[in-house]
Amino acid sequence: MEAPPVTVMPVTGGTINMMEYLLQGSVLDQALESLLHRLRGLCDNMEPETFTDHELVYLLKGQQGNPFLLRARRSLSHPTSPWHLRYLGQPEVGDKSRHALVRNCVDVAASHTLPEFLNEMGFRMDHEFVTTGHIFRKGAMKVVVSKLSRILVPGNTENTERLSLSYLVELSVLAPAGQDTVSEDMRSFAEQLKPLVHLEKIDPSKQRH
Amino acid sequence: MGVTCVCQVPVAEGKSVQQTVDILHKKLEQLGAVKQGSFCVDCETYHATGNVSGQPSKLLYVMHNSETPLSCLALFEGGPSLIADANFDVLMVKLKSHFQNAKGHKVECRGSRYRYYDFLIKVGTVTMSSSARGISVEVEYCPCVVPGDCWNLTKEFMQSFLGSSVPDLPSVFAAKPEGLFAPSDCIDTMTQYLELFNKLRKLQIPGSNVR
Amino acid sequence: MSGGPAVRVSIESSCEKQVQEVALDGTETYVPPLSMSQNLAKLAQRIDFSQGSDSEEEGAEGEPRDREWGKQEGEEEEGTVKFQPSLWPWDSVRNNLRSALTEMCVLYDVLSVVKEKKYMALDPVSQDPTAGKTPQVFQLISKKKSLATAAQLLLKGAEKLNKSVTENQENRRQRDFNSELLRLRSQWKLRKVGDKILGDLSYRSAGSLFPHHGTFEVIKNTDIDLDKKIPEDYCPLDVQIPSDLEGSAYIKVSIQKQSPDIGDLGTVNLFRRPLKNKAGTQQWHLKLEAAQNVLLCKEIFAQLSREAVQIKSQIPHIVVKNQIISQPFPGLQLSISLCHSTGEKKNQRTSPEKPSPDNHLYVLEHNLHQMMREFHKQQLSSVVMPHPASAPFGHKRLRLAGPLAYDKAEISSLQQSEGLLEKIIKQAKHIFLRSRTARTIDSLASRIEDPQIQAHWSNINDVYESSVKVLITSQGYEQICKSIQLQLNIGVEQIRVVHRDGRVITLSHQEQELQDFLLSQMSQHQVHAVQQLAKVMGWHVLSFSNHVGLGPVESIGNASAVTVASPNGEYSISVRNGPESGCKVLVQFPRSQNKELPKSDVIQDTKWSHLRGPYKEVNWSRMEGRNFVYKMELLMAALTPCP
Repeated sequence: MEAPPVTVMPVTGGTINMMEYLLQGSVLDQALESLLHRLRGLCDNMEPETFTDHELVYLLKGQQGNPFLLRARRSLSHPTSPWHLRYLGQPEVGDKSRHALVRNCVDVAASHTLPEFLNEMGFRMDHEFVTTGHIFRKGAMKVVVSKLSRILVPGNTENTERLSLSYLVELSVLAPAGQDTVSEDMRSFAEQLKPLVHLEKIDPSKQRH
Repeated sequence: MGVTCVCQVPVAEGKSVQQTVDILHKKLEQLGAVKQGSFCVDCETYHATGNVSGQPSKLLYVMHNSETPLSCLALFEGGPSLIADANFDVLMVKLKSHFQNAKGHKVECRGSRYRYYDFLIKVGTVTMSSSARGISVEVEYCPCVVPGDCWNLTKEFMQSFLGSSVPDLPSVFAAKPEGLFAPSDCIDTMTQYLELFNKLRKLQIPGSNVR
Repeated sequence: MSGGPAVRVSIESSCEKQVQEVALDGTETYVPPLSMSQNLAKLAQRIDFSQGSDSEEEGAEGEPRDREWGKQEGEEEEGTVKFQPSLWPWDSVRNNLRSALTEMCVLYDVLSVVKEKKYMALDPVSQDPTAGKTPQVFQLISKKKSLATAAQLLLKGAEKLNKSVTENQENRRQRDFNSELLRLRSQWKLRKVGDKILGDLSYRSAGSLFPHHGTFEVIKNTDIDLDKKIPEDYCPLDVQIPSDLEGSAYIKVSIQKQSPDIGDLGTVNLFRRPLKNKAGTQQWHLKLEAAQNVLLCKEIFAQLSREAVQIKSQIPHIVVKNQIISQPFPGLQLSISLCHSTGEKKNQRTSPEKPSPDNHLYVLEHNLHQMMREFHKQQLSSVVMPHPASAPFGHKRLRLAGPLAYDKAEISSLQQSEGLLEKIIKQAKHIFLRSRTARTIDSLASRIEDPQIQAHWSNINDVYESSVKVLITSQGYEQICKSIQLQLNIGVEQIRVVHRDGRVITLSHQEQELQDFLLSQMSQHQVHAVQQLAKVMGWHVLSFSNHVGLGPVESIGNASAVTVASPNGEYSISVRNGPESGCKVLVQFPRSQNKELPKSDVIQDTKWSHLRGPYKEVNWSRMEGRNFVYKMELLMAALTPCP
């Protein structure tokens, strides 16, 4: 029997409502090295961690309303890791002064039969892409610097083409609903990354074409 | 995870469900099995609301087993299956507009767990909306994962306390493409439970449409 | 960064050099730019020295020049023909040079004319003697004035020098502050917030989960009076640490007999370990290090007290103020306390008697620090990083538990089994058991001389296990009698003994058990020694038993016995040795030597008189010899007649 350590770590699982706090920004390829260097200094002292993931976005078209969107992601660099299924809700519109984008988030780890199962449920794959980059961690905050690539032949993750000449930088925290200090911490961390990269709240609904 | 066989035990003549279960418990204890807590297997049914045409919508079964407390199993009968962690239930709640939970169809099987050396025996009462429908017995032979190697042994063991109601080889094992010698996993166990629950559901209410 | 794509603006300087020629392969040859002197020469050439400052000459030759530039400034020139604008930048230079040339020519002409002495002669000008003499008062005043001007100039210069010196010093102090800040930054994490410089001395970036902020502030200390003497330990940079981290702290782990009353719990002695100011290290460095140590001690104690309260154990732990008390063994008390002294002088009177040196287990304190740091490190291991990247943080194996349907046994093997408190209690138990075992063996060794007991402790131990090899020997007969060799593995709660003959015995933590066991082994040794000795001496072993079932029952172990016969069979020695009853030696004589045996008519053959007859006990305490085996050897020798 072990007592939990002297702090509160977010509990994933059960019926606790988890919220994702998100800030996004981007840097050009040339500025990547200096950004990584900066992040190495600011974040927890660990060996730099790289990743290569393949993400598939599934849509379920219902009779009414918007289609239901699920993101299924697997690791190409660690093939034995389970699939990660993610549902992201609508961003919370409430506090305009809140610095980060807040939305409901459900994370499910699933076995490797996920794609067939989703198809059977009625989901259809909308698009897929490969993303590769670095992950950093500072306490509960996660910083992901990634480059997205388009898959040219469906199902073939070897043949990819880069989508842009820049890297996407995302700062996210997974916390139970109601913790408001999280966005403050995120904002002060984002301040330290200026002027290399400007992380800000980007509402995905405004980006819809 | 070993090779599991789930079968139904008919209620003894003139006795109630609880009495039959007690008889089984006594037999096991006489055999020398040790009681090790309790178990619970439950199953919830969801059906898709999106189907326009007249064909019956597919039924999605989400099952939990106390033996694997951190996992959640989702299956389509005869179709693909998924093993996920406990957050899958939360996801199903979010999907409630697309997949409706047939609340009246929730089936639970609860009972005690006995350990007899390498065997794990679970005798449970299947209840549907708080009425007992039948008795299930699950026998697991832990050291082996290949059904073909240990079916005979398991059958012989079951004969020692089940007497005449020993089942045949479960169809899940025979239905696999590699046959009896493919390794079995928890999906096979849950499929057997699902079959048992469906059989018991149809039994009590004959002729009704399963919706 | 509002809207719209950014417009790229490039700035390029115009080509400064003129292209002289472009070669056929495209290379351009530039006209080399003129150097300074060349430029000067070019400008000087444009000065027309022939032109004087007379307007008439100007006008005559100005017009042709006007006609050259006339298109631009025609009308204006005509209107201002009398006013000569300086058309060249060096017009004044030219004019001055011209007038100087004129003067020089005039002088030269005059001198040449004077030299001839025909037309001009030089005569000195007569001086009026009265006109030149000025009154003395004026001379004094004028001298004073000139001295004053000179003095003022010198003073001005001196003031300037002074100002520059003080500025230099001020700069140096600023630079000192900056260089100190640089040194501080190379070792500690700093960040600027507004106009304050804050730093972080917590272990959070190293993996700690303690919620203390650990922020310190950097203060500039440059406003000191330069006139007063600068103190020895002056440093332009000072740090202000949070008030609850001041002073120094350590965790005291000690084992003592259980105190009869609970009344005085929570008043643990704090003795001050003064901060030694090492030469060369800054004061801020020591301050920050001490504060960080205090923070780590607080974290350790918080973790321990949390576990003490939450984990259920058979004997509950008591947490009182700054002390955690638990009972590792019955009658024994383990106390872990956080000793934090703020270093104020007025606490001196409560500073106590010096604690006994073996009361504070430094090893366990060190182990606590190490285990805490290891816990920190585990938080930072790459096992926690998620793959795929969008998954939440968490242990990799735990993430697999859902999809791979782990059952309860597998899940519990993933969870960490022991907390900090359990580990440290186990270590304390082991240390205590080990020291008690050593004490038992040593007390036996000093109390009993025959046989001798030797302990060889192994150098390399584990935190939970140590081992010692115990040999029981007789002095002088180590090579012969070495059958009792015991390997003791001292664990957390038990001692496992492996005998040379392969038996494994588990002893509990009770001191008496080990002592009894060793005593029984010693008594067995004596009997084994006789058996070995017999082999050497040529005696035959007739019977041997480690545990005889005859005679008085021993309270510790069992008695052992051996019977050996002399080479010619005439005598035999029987030894019975028990841990409590001591040793009993009986010698069997041949019948012929026994006078008391009645002569019988039945036995007529004389050969029967060579058989061994009755027994006689030996007065062992009066036997000569240093130890048991020596005495036995003498006895055997005495009973073996020379051939």
